[in-house]
Amino acid sequence: MKKLPNFLLIAALVAVLAAGLAACGGGGSSSGKPTTSEGGGAGAEGKEGGTLKGAYTSFPDYMDPQISYTAEGWTAMRPVYIPLLTYKHAEGEEGAEIIPGLAKELPKITNGDKTYTMFLRKGLKYSNGEEIKAGDFKYAVERCFLTNSGGSPFYTDIAGAEQFAKTKKGGISGIKVNESTGEIVINLMKPQGTFPNTLALMFVAPIPQKTPAEDQSAHPIPASGPYYLTKSEPGRGWEYERNPYWAKDNGKQLTEIPSGHVDKIEIEVLRNQSTQVNDVESGKLNWIFDPPPTDRYTEVKEKFEGTQFRPEPTISTYYFWMNETVEPFSNQKVREAVNYAVDPAALERIYTGQIKGTQQILPPGMPGYEKFELFPHNVKKAKELIAESGIKDKEVTVWTDSESPNNDAGTYYQGLLNEIGLKAELKILNPDNYFTVIGNRSTPNLDTGFSDWFEDFPHPNDFFDILLNGESIQNTNNQNFSQTNVPELNKKIDKLAEEQLGPQQEKEYAELDKEFMEHAAWAPYGTRTLSLFVSSNINLETAIWNPTFETELTSLEFKE
Amino acid sequence: MPPESENPGTEAPIPIGTGALDADLGIGPDGAGVVEAAPGEAGPGGGPWAVAWRRLRRNKVALFSLAVFLLIVICCLLAPVWANQVAHTGPNTTHTLEKLHVGGEVREVVEPSGKAIGPQWFEAGGKFFLGADGHLGRDEMVRLLYGGRSSLFIGIVAALITTILAVTFALLAGYYGGWPDTIISRAMDVIWAFPVVLLGISLGIVLAVGGLVIGPIHLKSSSLWIPTLIIGVVYTPYMARPLRGEILALREKEFIEAAIAQGASGFRIMFVELLPNLLSTIIVFFTLNIANNMLLEAVLSYLGAGVQPPSSSWGTMISEGFQALYSQPILTIIPGTAILLTVLSVNVFGDGLRDALDPKSKVRFEARAGTAAEMDNPI
Amino acid sequence: MLRFAVRRLLGAIAVLFAISVLVFLIFNVVPATNPAQRIAGKNATPQLIKNVEKEWGFDKSLPEQYWTQMKLIFTGEATSYSLAHINIDERILEGIPVTASLCIGAAIIWLAFGILLGYISAMNAGGLVDRFVTVIALIGISMPVFWLASIFLYYLTYKVELFPASGYEPLSNPGKWASHLILPWISLAVLFAGFYSRVLRSSMLDVMNEDYVRTARAKGLSQRRVTVRHVLRNSLIPIVTLFGLDFGVLIGGGAIITESLFNLEGVGYFTAEALGQQDFPSIMAVTIFGAFFIVLFNTFVDIAYAYLDPRIRLGTSAV
Repeated sequence: MKKLPNFLLIAALVAVLAAGLAACGGGGSSSGKPTTSEGGGAGAEGKEGGTLKGAYTSFPDYMDPQISYTAEGWTAMRPVYIPLLTYKHAEGEEGAEIIPGLAKELPKITNGDKTYTMFLRKGLKYSNGEEIKAGDFKYAVERCFLTNSGGSPFYTDIAGAEQFAKTKKGGISGIKVNESTGEIVINLMKPQGTFPNTLALMFVAPIPQKTPAEDQSAHPIPASGPYYLTKSEPGRGWEYERNPYWAKDNGKQLTEIPSGHVDKIEIEVLRNQSTQVNDVESGKLNWIFDPPPTDRYTEVKEKFEGTQFRPEPTISTYYFWMNETVEPFSNQKVREAVNYAVDPAALERIYTGQIKGTQQILPPGMPGYEKFELFPHNVKKAKELIAESGIKDKEVTVWTDSESPNNDAGTYYQGLLNEIGLKAELKILNPDNYFTVIGNRSTPNLDTGFSDWFEDFPHPNDFFDILLNGESIQNTNNQNFSQTNVPELNKKIDKLAEEQLGPQQEKEYAELDKEFMEHAAWAPYGTRTLSLFVSSNINLETAIWNPTFETELTSLEFKE
Repeated sequence: MPPESENPGTEAPIPIGTGALDADLGIGPDGAGVVEAAPGEAGPGGGPWAVAWRRLRRNKVALFSLAVFLLIVICCLLAPVWANQVAHTGPNTTHTLEKLHVGGEVREVVEPSGKAIGPQWFEAGGKFFLGADGHLGRDEMVRLLYGGRSSLFIGIVAALITTILAVTFALLAGYYGGWPDTIISRAMDVIWAFPVVLLGISLGIVLAVGGLVIGPIHLKSSSLWIPTLIIGVVYTPYMARPLRGEILALREKEFIEAAIAQGASGFRIMFVELLPNLLSTIIVFFTLNIANNMLLEAVLSYLGAGVQPPSSSWGTMISEGFQALYSQPILTIIPGTAILLTVLSVNVFGDGLRDALDPKSKVRFEARAGTAAEMDNPI
Repeated sequence: MLRFAVRRLLGAIAVLFAISVLVFLIFNVVPATNPAQRIAGKNATPQLIKNVEKEWGFDKSLPEQYWTQMKLIFTGEATSYSLAHINIDERILEGIPVTASLCIGAAIIWLAFGILLGYISAMNAGGLVDRFVTVIALIGISMPVFWLASIFLYYLTYKVELFPASGYEPLSNPGKWASHLILPWISLAVLFAGFYSRVLRSSMLDVMNEDYVRTARAKGLSQRRVTVRHVLRNSLIPIVTLFGLDFGVLIGGGAIITESLFNLEGVGYFTAEALGQQDFPSIMAVTIFGAFFIVLFNTFVDIAYAYLDPRIRLGTSAV
């Protein structure tokens, strides 16, 4: 359900806007790039301390671990709130590895994959000195439901969770904690292969039980991580300082979680992305969350790549969905024709090199990804297929949002559909409620349109189950925009969902990927590249880009 | 700045606040400005219209401006000709991956970085005369011509709407007085107190979201009629109030009293007796209104409350162009210059027209004060 | 005098009420879509939508809705969900210093140039200089702010880094403050300068034909004295009135385009931002406050005038 953060819209108004993010071809490789910048020289040693200044284009949706469901929020809170399990602070595949966080070790899974047992580490403290208790985890899960968080659907398989979601009373019976031993036992209704991943999400990071069950964006919740939020002003910015209890208590046990290099971090909301670029160039800012705007992207890339700038991959897929329940896209031939007609190379250009063309469901970097290309670009073939289908001049509505270049992608797509023999009309919506509108099945003329999907966690189930499983079609908040419902594929998804991910499962997911593309459920066209851009006095070599959490703030350090 | 005048009796009345604008129109108690246009004096050859025409003919700058404006209108009307015969593409046709053969060279319409080709003039036989418009590689010249059609349509049709509404309201209020006058004037006061742009964007954004449904008429949110209607309506008070003031003065005139005494119907008095005397004012207002409408269109479209994609106008082109200001400033400057030239030609012509039709400055610049000041200032 | 002031104030209150009703109707009756869903913004849960529905009174009758919404806006409790849960009224208040900095600076420029050009033009009426100034003024009036701003931004802040790229710096550092505002000041002032020079020109030409000016001249007063003392002074009256109106509009959030092009986070910027998000509560609040500001400003100007010039309060009062 995670969508590309919506930082652009404001920028759009303000002149310099960009959809985004980084250039194609950038690998995730981070380390070992030679540094030529002055000051440090090759292999510059970082220094500890200092105040890191950063900027976001817009304030995260929430500064509250249980509610935030955007990349902005997750990057910002990553050094502050640590779940029981967490992702390794590393790049690429290594960064997708789950390691124990506040839990002593990875959970013991028993009872046919339905019972998870973990122990909370002893002697951990929040930044206000309060002790972290096992019950705090239970409260965090409950708080997800109490606040109706967008993350709560991840936890509905826990026994008693559905009941709690309805009544909001009596706690979730499937979570049992023992305060004296720190034991936490979670019982699931049915096996869930992705459950360890969901335990590593920010949504269930323990917080003090006296935290009110409402948005705390303006009143930072005490931290369990190396930094705590000293202030947070929605719309304006927020600041961090080192958590005084980290060095003394938590850090000693959580050795795999970096303690960070700087003493203070100050983030301001700076709406003009061009100004952000200028400020990083002049050193007024040390880091920016959002990539340089499209308008300045090439210039920045040429000037600073390797010294202050690095394109970074994401695990995401951009695609055009086609509603299989209505004409003309109920016709397999038409869907195939669209796939032949859509040219990822053209879209790469429309996204100014910030997507990398792919034509499959799973993006590179996702376990189970195996590259294939079923529909090499061929407009002639597309026209033939449309002719064969017997559908001509059928009127269709193309949906997209107004964020550049998604709107341009929509315009391109509309032109393409007209070219191959349909009559397409474009409908451009505000990005804020675009997904709400197209996720409401009663919206008229939902024929085809743009969508993107950024992984919540590196597990292929996060793509198939939510986006393509016929059983997950809902009347509102629907994510299966193509309304794909192929019973035998649904069954495969359900079966795989219950299994823990291993080499066999990865192979099966790769097959599933191919089967869905043979069915031509979508016309995927690319995977997004973002980027990391820091000032000249920041050590780019040691900066880490995690596939899920993007920039690791704890990895940024000033050069000597 | 109150005048502690030595000649208090002869001072012009001070126009105050929103309500006092009629006083500002130079409709003095003697109605000097009006007499000259009274029907009795109008005749072929020596009538006020002929006089005006002679004056206008002498104003070469104004005539030149009119020519420029008409040229722009004709160019935009010929957009399909340019698109089909010269550029061989449509305003929404994308050329992302195409290559252009210029002389012996092959150039990419859109570079991999998303930067589009610049103006080619006639090097490529008229293709990409002004270059392409960004990642989609659409022909900027073709878009400019088609966009101009929308902008001009809105400018002219909205001015017509304003004129029709304003004249109707002004005649009703000015002629009947009493409660129709009270209702119309109070309603105008409210709209008057409302900054034009804020009213325009409020209506624009609301209708841009949902479209407009009035009885059997359903306007899609992307319809050009929505911004046209909005602009036409929001400017109505700025024209209706001065006109009403003028009618109040005219009503005191003998020829109207004579008509009433002869038992002429209200309809006849309004449209046969009063309206012709308002024509010169109306023409000047109408002209200047076109200029202001086009500027407001650009503002509304820039803010997302005007022309909605996929339709395009000069305003939407500016708003798209601004996204690439630093890499391709020309994409902002081209439609901006088009607006500047068009609005300037209308304004200069309107200025000359006023001098010709209205030498005593009956419709003084202040009459536009409300209009221009309020309508232009957010820009 | 008191009676006039009271009558004028009552009139203003009636207009304010009417405006608030008008705005309410525009935003609550015209749109065909679910307002709560729109207000709730990104990542809205069904629960949040329900809360919004209750908070903004969408489940009640229209008059109750009106009352609920006005209460939210006027008690400063209205929250924008689309814009990071900020308090709308606080955000508007914060924008005022920025907007004021922009408007006051621009006003000084446009008054200075407007009066200067108008004066030159009127003194040379009909001549070459007059025609030249007229063309300049008309260009100013016809200039879309985008055009000037884009040229400023591209050439003066980016190509040649003569001025800092946009953004607002607080007045505590006056040099920086001014250097960041100079381009926006000019962009905003050009149109008004052109317009005011035209107004002053025609106003001066009128006054010059007034009897008392002829009398003054006949009395043998020097030309210079006549122009400055009688003509210019009396001709400035429409300018002052106009200025009251224009300044009120700008302070009330009218400089939307200038503020957003130059990233000055004032009231107009906030309006543009709210428009981008189609955040109806924010747009509603800005519009109502903007209109209120203008009406109040005009009322005070009127009362002040009436105090100074008795003829006004005896005549038919406006509004």
